[in-house]
Amino acid sequence: MSGMNIRITVKLIGPFVNQLGFSEKTMEFPAEATVESVLSSLPLDPKRPRIVTRNGQAVAPGEKLNDGDRLAVSPLYSGG
Amino acid sequence: MAGGEIRGGYMGKLLRVNLSTGETWDEPLDLERATMYIGGSAMGGRILLDEVPPGVGPFDEENRLMFLSGPFSGTSVPGSGTYTVVTKGPLTNQAATAQSNGWFGARIKAAGYDGIIIQGIAPNWVYLVVNDGVVEIRDASDVLGRDTQETQTYLMETLGLPKASVACIGAAGETMVLYANISSDFAHFASTNGIGAVMGSKKLKAIVIKGSKPIPVADPEGMRKLGLEDLRKVGEIDKKTGWSIQGTTGVLAWCNEVAALPVHNMRKTHHPEAWKIDGERLNNARVATYGCPNCTMRCGITILDYEGRESELDYENIGMLGSNLDIFELDQVASLNYLCDDYGLDTISAGAVLAFYADAIEQGAIKGDFRFGDAEMAKKLLGMAARREGEIGNLLADGSLRMARKIGHNSEAYAMQVKGLEISAYNCKFIPGMALAFGTSPIGAHHKESWVITFELKQTARDSYGPEKAAKVIELQRIRGGLFEFIVACRFPWIELGWDLEHYAEYFNKTTGLNWTLNDFWKVADRIYALMKFFWVREFPFWDRTRDYPPMVWFDPNNADTEGPIAGKVLELDKYNQLLDYYYEQRGWDKRGIPTRKTAEALDLKKEAAEVEKFTKLE
Repeated sequence: MSGMNIRITVKLIGPFVNQLGFSEKTMEFPAEATVESVLSSLPLDPKRPRIVTRNGQAVAPGEKLNDGDRLAVSPLYSGG
Repeated sequence: MAGGEIRGGYMGKLLRVNLSTGETWDEPLDLERATMYIGGSAMGGRILLDEVPPGVGPFDEENRLMFLSGPFSGTSVPGSGTYTVVTKGPLTNQAATAQSNGWFGARIKAAGYDGIIIQGIAPNWVYLVVNDGVVEIRDASDVLGRDTQETQTYLMETLGLPKASVACIGAAGETMVLYANISSDFAHFASTNGIGAVMGSKKLKAIVIKGSKPIPVADPEGMRKLGLEDLRKVGEIDKKTGWSIQGTTGVLAWCNEVAALPVHNMRKTHHPEAWKIDGERLNNARVATYGCPNCTMRCGITILDYEGRESELDYENIGMLGSNLDIFELDQVASLNYLCDDYGLDTISAGAVLAFYADAIEQGAIKGDFRFGDAEMAKKLLGMAARREGEIGNLLADGSLRMARKIGHNSEAYAMQVKGLEISAYNCKFIPGMALAFGTSPIGAHHKESWVITFELKQTARDSYGPEKAAKVIELQRIRGGLFEFIVACRFPWIELGWDLEHYAEYFNKTTGLNWTLNDFWKVADRIYALMKFFWVREFPFWDRTRDYPPMVWFDPNNADTEGPIAGKVLELDKYNQLLDYYYEQRGWDKRGIPTRKTAEALDLKKEAAEVEKFTKLE
């Protein structure tokens, strides 16, 4: 790991797995990375409603991430 | 509410069957009542209140078992082959409503009826044949003992009715397991609250239904065009979003991430092996896909089970029969699901019952050989419950609340149920709004009434007990527990694909010739919620808010997760009570959770309120 970077694990859920071609991946991002900057680096449709959690908790787009964080990105499920 | 005369959507009559006397007769549908209650759960709830007095048990002759359509059944509305079963259910000893997809609802209408209402108890086992308005009660001795799938195939072949729908019970319904369900069109189940046991109590093995009557709608051309266009659009959205790739099972991985997964009788909220049974694995193992008539989002994902049989799974099945039992082998979960379908057992209650049994053994409250993670023993126990075999089979057959009362040792605290009905696959030990949704659901804990977890985690703080959560629960109850249950249509195009609710008002107006807005529907929804509460109060005059509590273990700090996203957190009772206050205030109910006189009058329930005042004083 570069001293300037942080490692973030991105977990995709549901059809996002098929759309992006992976289920879970740990990637390096600049130390100042935010939720929004990580998500915008992924080929996700920004118009598609989604729910993002960091380490299992709701998170705002502008929040700065820490090394080792886990971001889960899911469509808005409604519980069948 | 916009008035006017109903010009379509209804066949205009109900089929009445008295199994005690063998009489069948047609009864004109009360169209005034139809504008008050529309159909399905609301119509059935109303009839139940009128015809099943307090004190009548679910298995008594006077109980009614209703198979009801709605105005959309059999029309071009996407997902409208649906029907609703309403009865007094044995788990809650109260109104039970359960919706099932497939063709059966459309065929009730095509046979000439808006619904079938069964009363009485047959002297010997029978099945009912309704063929284009010709009604026969037939001896069922040759069908008895057959499982749900075999029963349907056998009756269709024997009667030479390949295009009929059959609704039937399996072994569990015959032995009156308190969470027995009703199977129809092979892959569909009306499941909640032991409605299959009520069918068994009436010695009614099956209903075979077929018809060819056209269904009148006020604007046939408008409905045809709209239906075709919407079917295409729903299919396009599904394809674009990829929702059907995993269907409902996509939610398992999400619940695991956010600590909402049922694990170990809901004592845990996530598990490192959950990925082994998630939607990705299910999709990879898929051998077939099934869908409903008139629907372009085919959501039935089928895999081969451990024994090599086809088994169709959704999230609730996997959550309750998999993670909640610490079983993380997908083919074994599929086997348990197959057995439940075969015996005619509700998978949610069955999973909760087995998990509670394993937990009670682990806590030392009862002796037994079953341990979490033991799929083979779980299979054996399902068979014992379905046949009510021996002491253990009989114990398991009565559902978790009654089990807890027999077992004692404070085990009721971790019997995961509300009002007697087992909680579906969302672990709310730190999700206050969803806990409120389970607590206030009038049919006992069920996700179909209201599902607010996404809202809680996306738009509010998870630990908030604010009025916005109560408001969201009510909003969703109006839509999910109300609208979709009384119009009798599948809610998936709306909830999963974002299909605009205004479509349903448009469909309703084109079907009936009325001119309703969504606000008119919300009034019907509020009316049926108030009516259901009156039904409870009539039976339990000393009603208090504790009946709207979720299981006490969710408030127990000793039950908090020790690691993960919600480590050390559980619900707080004083805050939950505050949330209940918000909920009651917004509904216009008193502090006990009973609609006030003023609220009842605003919902056109003045007479009903006066009737309830014979049992308890309203504020």
